[in-house]
Amino acid sequence: MTTLLEARGLTARRGGREVLRGVDLELRAGEVVAILGPNGAGKSTLLAVLAGLLPATCGAMERRARVATALQAGALADRSALANVEAALRWWGVPRAARRHRAEAALAALGAGHLAARRAVALSGGEARRVHLARALALEAGVLLLDEPFSGLDAPARADLLEDAGAALAHPGRAVAVVLHDRAEAWALADRVLVLLGGRPAAAGPTREVLERPATPEVAAFLGFSGRLELHGGGVRMLRPSHAALDPAGDVEATVVRRIPVEEGFRLELALPGGRLHAPAPLDAPGPGDVVRLRLTGGVTFPHI
Amino acid sequence: MEFLWDGLQQAIDLLLSGDDEVLGIVGVTLRMAFWSTLIALALGLPLGLVLGLGRFRGRGAGLALANAGMGLPPVIVGLVVALLLFRGAPLGGLNLLYTLEGVIVAQAVLSLPVVVALTAAAVQSLPDGLLDQARAFGASRRAVGLLALREARIGVLAATIAAVGSAFAEVGAVVLVGGNIDGQTQTLASAVLVRVSAGEYGRAIALGIVLLGLVLVLAAVLTVLQQRRPRAALGRPS
Repeated sequence: MTTLLEARGLTARRGGREVLRGVDLELRAGEVVAILGPNGAGKSTLLAVLAGLLPATCGAMERRARVATALQAGALADRSALANVEAALRWWGVPRAARRHRAEAALAALGAGHLAARRAVALSGGEARRVHLARALALEAGVLLLDEPFSGLDAPARADLLEDAGAALAHPGRAVAVVLHDRAEAWALADRVLVLLGGRPAAAGPTREVLERPATPEVAAFLGFSGRLELHGGGVRMLRPSHAALDPAGDVEATVVRRIPVEEGFRLELALPGGRLHAPAPLDAPGPGDVVRLRLTGGVTFPHI
Repeated sequence: MEFLWDGLQQAIDLLLSGDDEVLGIVGVTLRMAFWSTLIALALGLPLGLVLGLGRFRGRGAGLALANAGMGLPPVIVGLVVALLLFRGAPLGGLNLLYTLEGVIVAQAVLSLPVVVALTAAAVQSLPDGLLDQARAFGASRRAVGLLALREARIGVLAATIAAVGSAFAEVGAVVLVGGNIDGQTQTLASAVLVRVSAGEYGRAIALGIVLLGLVLVLAAVLTVLQQRRPRAALGRPS
């Protein structure tokens, strides 16, 4: 696979503070890489450095293709959706004759073909985001960088756009890096994941591997392994809520600490001899103070911390 | 009160008869306003863009200067321009003193800070990310500037309206630099001054009415331009 962008040991400062340190990243043609991390982890800074919008204070970077970046707050101009995409093509240097066709194709690819004549101010949040992504896609850059393309959308709009974007981004000649803060989005879009914590690379690898076998307890905690049990022989076992099930025949006893309402019932926070964890429960779940029995399956164990 | 009524009647007669003198003064006024505004826009739009969008040392001072310039006393500007244009003065060789061109220069000096300050304010209030995104897509500086002007067109047209309005209203600088010469450098506003001094209240009022009419018509045209919205095919979804 052709490597289109290669970065080694990137370090960057913002406002006099070092917000990114020692990041290695390789973007290959035909691949989508998700950059995951909590707020303030340095994700957007990394993207800005890759895009060349912010200078790295340290490290080396080689770009072997033109890089296009869709910013998180990429406001549209006050004109039609089609005119916005065509303007991006003009800035990119695409000859006039080719603009209309490419703009229409990109809008169609993101399910926004019917919005072409609509003025930007008359678009909903989800529609505006589609047009914004379409203009980045239309450029046909070798490397495409997307900063939180789904933030600020309501759940249905997000799910719809995620589906369309997944299909539109896949292209054998293109490398994509996309900043996300939701692991479900990474699961839906990315071939590989880079997790940033506090400005440092905390995990990297194929999406499924990183999401299911996180490298450290910190990465696990960020990726939804909210339960934490100390093991007898030292070390720690971390579990997602889905790894624990209420079961009268279960072999573990736990006390309910809190009931947290979620979509389909409750999530129980449970205290065990070795620590705490979360478990899903139906609407008639036991309340605080009740003792329940659990069956635990899966999770990840770390020998020592 | 009698003379006011007489004056009004005289004004209406003058206007209805299509007086050549009045038409001449209107022509001078329009030419002066047009060219001075054009010069102020040609210099002021790029300057306003640079001050509004740039990131360089001295930008704040430049903005403060432009803002202060909006309050420039026209008489002082007229005096300075006139002094510079005197024979023997640095710009005396241009022979612009007591010419319409000289008046246009003085008025452009007065309009320039208005255009600069209002343009800078207008482009500064554009939404975050609009121009950054254009840069990220490879837009040249020129393209970013044009996008900013287009998106800030309401403020830019407000600056134009203000420049035209100040040209119509100007007396002090016009008289000092132009000499208020009949048929050459006399504008509606400066003509009113002369007529009032001479006790010709009827003509003064007539000219005043024409001036107000011009201001209204031009402001209306520019406001229509400013508020024009291409018809959206569909309304904003709720």
